Amino acid sequence: MKVAIIGSGIVGLSSAYFLSNSAEVVVFERRYPLYGASGRNTGGITTMLGNKELIDLAKRSMKIYDDVQGEVNFNFLFRKDGYLKVAKNDIDMEKLEKEYYLQRSAGLKVREIDPFEIKNMIPGFNPKSVAGGFYGEGGVIFPWPVIWGYEKGCKARGAEIKPQTEVSEIVVENGEVKGLKANGEFFKADFIVNAAGAWSNEISRLAGVSLNNVVIKEEICVLESLKPFINPYILNVSNGVYLSQSARGEVVGGIVGKETNELNTSSSLDFLIRYAKGAVEMVPSLKGLSVLRQWAGVYDCSRDGMPVIGETEVKGFIQANGLGKHGMSIGPAVGELISEMILKGKSLNNFSPNRFQS
Amino acid sequence: MRLEDHPIVKFKRGKEVTIYFNGKPVKAYEGETVASALYAAGIRTFSRSFRFHRPRGFFCAIGKCSSCLMEVDGIPNIRVCKVYVRDGMRIKTQNSFPNADSDLLGFLDSIIDRFYPHGSHYKKFNRPRILREFVTKQIRGFAGAGDPPKKVFEGNASYEKIETDLAVIGGGPAGMSAAIFAARAGAKVILMDENPFLGGQLVKQTHRFFGSGRHRAGTRGIRIAEILADEIKELKNIDVRYETKVFGIYNGVVGAVERDKKLLEILPKKIVVATGAYERTLVFENNDLPGVYGAGGVQTLMNVFGIKPGNVGLIVGSGNVGLILTYQLMQAGIKVAAIVEAMPRIGGYFVHAAKVRRLGVPIYTGYTIQRAIGKKKVEAAEIVKLDEKWCAVKGTEKRIDCDFICIAIGLSPTHELLYQAGCKMRFIPELGGLVPLRNRYGETTVEGVYVAGDVAGIEEATAAMMEGRIAGIDAAIKIGYGGDEALKVREEVVRDLKEFREGPFGERIVSGLKKVSIEELQEAEA
Repeated sequence: MKVAIIGSGIVGLSSAYFLSNSAEVVVFERRYPLYGASGRNTGGITTMLGNKELIDLAKRSMKIYDDVQGEVNFNFLFRKDGYLKVAKNDIDMEKLEKEYYLQRSAGLKVREIDPFEIKNMIPGFNPKSVAGGFYGEGGVIFPWPVIWGYEKGCKARGAEIKPQTEVSEIVVENGEVKGLKANGEFFKADFIVNAAGAWSNEISRLAGVSLNNVVIKEEICVLESLKPFINPYILNVSNGVYLSQSARGEVVGGIVGKETNELNTSSSLDFLIRYAKGAVEMVPSLKGLSVLRQWAGVYDCSRDGMPVIGETEVKGFIQANGLGKHGMSIGPAVGELISEMILKGKSLNNFSPNRFQS
Repeated sequence: MRLEDHPIVKFKRGKEVTIYFNGKPVKAYEGETVASALYAAGIRTFSRSFRFHRPRGFFCAIGKCSSCLMEVDGIPNIRVCKVYVRDGMRIKTQNSFPNADSDLLGFLDSIIDRFYPHGSHYKKFNRPRILREFVTKQIRGFAGAGDPPKKVFEGNASYEKIETDLAVIGGGPAGMSAAIFAARAGAKVILMDENPFLGGQLVKQTHRFFGSGRHRAGTRGIRIAEILADEIKELKNIDVRYETKVFGIYNGVVGAVERDKKLLEILPKKIVVATGAYERTLVFENNDLPGVYGAGGVQTLMNVFGIKPGNVGLIVGSGNVGLILTYQLMQAGIKVAAIVEAMPRIGGYFVHAAKVRRLGVPIYTGYTIQRAIGKKKVEAAEIVKLDEKWCAVKGTEKRIDCDFICIAIGLSPTHELLYQAGCKMRFIPELGGLVPLRNRYGETTVEGVYVAGDVAGIEEATAAMMEGRIAGIDAAIKIGYGGDEALKVREEVVRDLKEFREGPFGERIVSGLKKVSIEELQEAEA
């Protein structure tokens, strides 16, 4: 069986990793692994998501991360120091509370946390900046070794990864995929997996399948390196500001992105100003530190916030996209689902792309 | 170690103050940077390197390297070569225990590569999971430079939005000239520099310039800086912002921080990038040992702050910078043991070389530095002869006793802002590195963004000034200022610059410029 995967982000590579023991897999990457959202995010990992299906995917992904690091002998520098969701006002606290009950019923160890307790956890945190928060399982992973490790694992299992290879055509005959054309060459394929992240809509169009994911642009910056003092990953749900401290000691953070029409990764001064305000409000001791780098990334999100996973009306053309901002948290398990679907014919009603067709 | 008498420069020292270095009082003078005051007090180890914990000292003196990061008044990772002393200031070395001079982790240097080579944090101790998670936690404790801030930074942050005609980034010879010529034509200009003074690297050029009278030949660099600064003071439509660091150009909007506390959002019609250059270093054993300096760093120390870099120096590189530095050192009463030049002949002008020779400094051509010798600071250097294939000839090693080594092997353009702004760049060895494509007036491929001076290609101050004038006046013309007179002046300077480069020393530059000229590239395409 021949499987062509478009996109070498976390979803594409995880799919390739699980498939390549039993199928002939080629991963097509328009630029290079790490170019897309999987190489541009801040590595926040959590199971504290908004519904049962997503939570299950995230729980399964935590387990896969543990296994894969051992299997491929590569450290993703996954630090499980917890995930903090904080809110600035009562309305947002209520929303978090609703999520909290759901997360508890899904078996997660989540607890409400008092702002003063957060201050004990993070020296320099301003307890007056938030109304409250919830603390649960998760932490920070370094996205680059995740991708490098998966690449290493895929290659060891016989998959081929083709960087700088743009797919220009998907060949469909009688409602069935036959293969694709990339860099002017034809590749035969029984299945084509669309794991192109922010570029998924375009890839889908090549197969004549409509996909209406929202493209979101998000900006991030890195402050200078310091000895560790911020252990958990903090997300302020009221203004979208999040931050953590990397394995190198750099304070990495950003603001949850907004819908965009253009697929560009230019960064802005406006972001720096807003982020500085939001970050310093939460952790005033960050004031006066230098910004080392800033950048932007683009990712896609489905219209209902759930990933789009499954076969389309074109036989053999499979969507594996629309993961939104949870790509790193649920990507490994999405890859596993894709492989089970292709290898075992398992169907996935909850995530089916057909749910958007009226 | 402070110079008192100097034949050319008169050092005006400010009020005496006391700063505390790792708790010990150090005498300093207002107007000195923390780095230079510590240097004058004989302190050589400024920090320790991230992984190997090797001693790091004073190096570039202009905020371009990261050798001098220290904790200042509780705020970590401060480049102390860019911070001026204040009475009672508390300076602490970081990333070391108990301090940078006697760091207990210094032993890592000799052993870490044996048991934990580079990349080990990904590849080692991955199985079983418990071991991996334990090691990952431990690694984190070693990472990080500097302790988390002990107190909240006191700067009162403010914000200013500025609408103007022209934003000039960099107050060296090119930037000052651009500002003057644009302002003369009538444009409203904001001129920004990261230093508390204008002049850029001219402020340490105590020698006289060459060329024709029109190019200010015979005038010392320091004097040229004063002349330009005086003219800027006269021009009321130039708004000078000192200690202002520009960090980005976002779609024509310039972001900058003034005096570490005010954010500037500048909306100019045109931008001139004149950010200059930084020093190149050379690969040899122990090239990070305190006492190995960039030539410009030594000039800053000696000619700007009046501090002796050491007693005996070795100069690597016999270009004009190396030769001029040699006699500047000797003017200040410092011995120069030798000049080492890898090429078979001397790189700089004959007059400079002759002057150095008269003073009795040996110049070893066909030699290079093989290693710096010393434990925590330079005690000597080993030089070696090179064969025609640039390989060291065994048995020709020579030990040269010295307590500092100056690397004077050239400069690289400070190109980052241009790259970030989206200018098309090209690597041109003749111009010193990565430089932007530009048209005959210095405008890059990003409309409205001009380039002038060393950042456009390493040359020297005279050409930088002319490039600045051209960029400044062209920007003004494009905005709608100046009329026919400005057009005339612009073409005159273009002609002047062309003339200036028509000599044997201009050949290399001219051939480099051909490769980045938008007009020439378009012609080649057509």
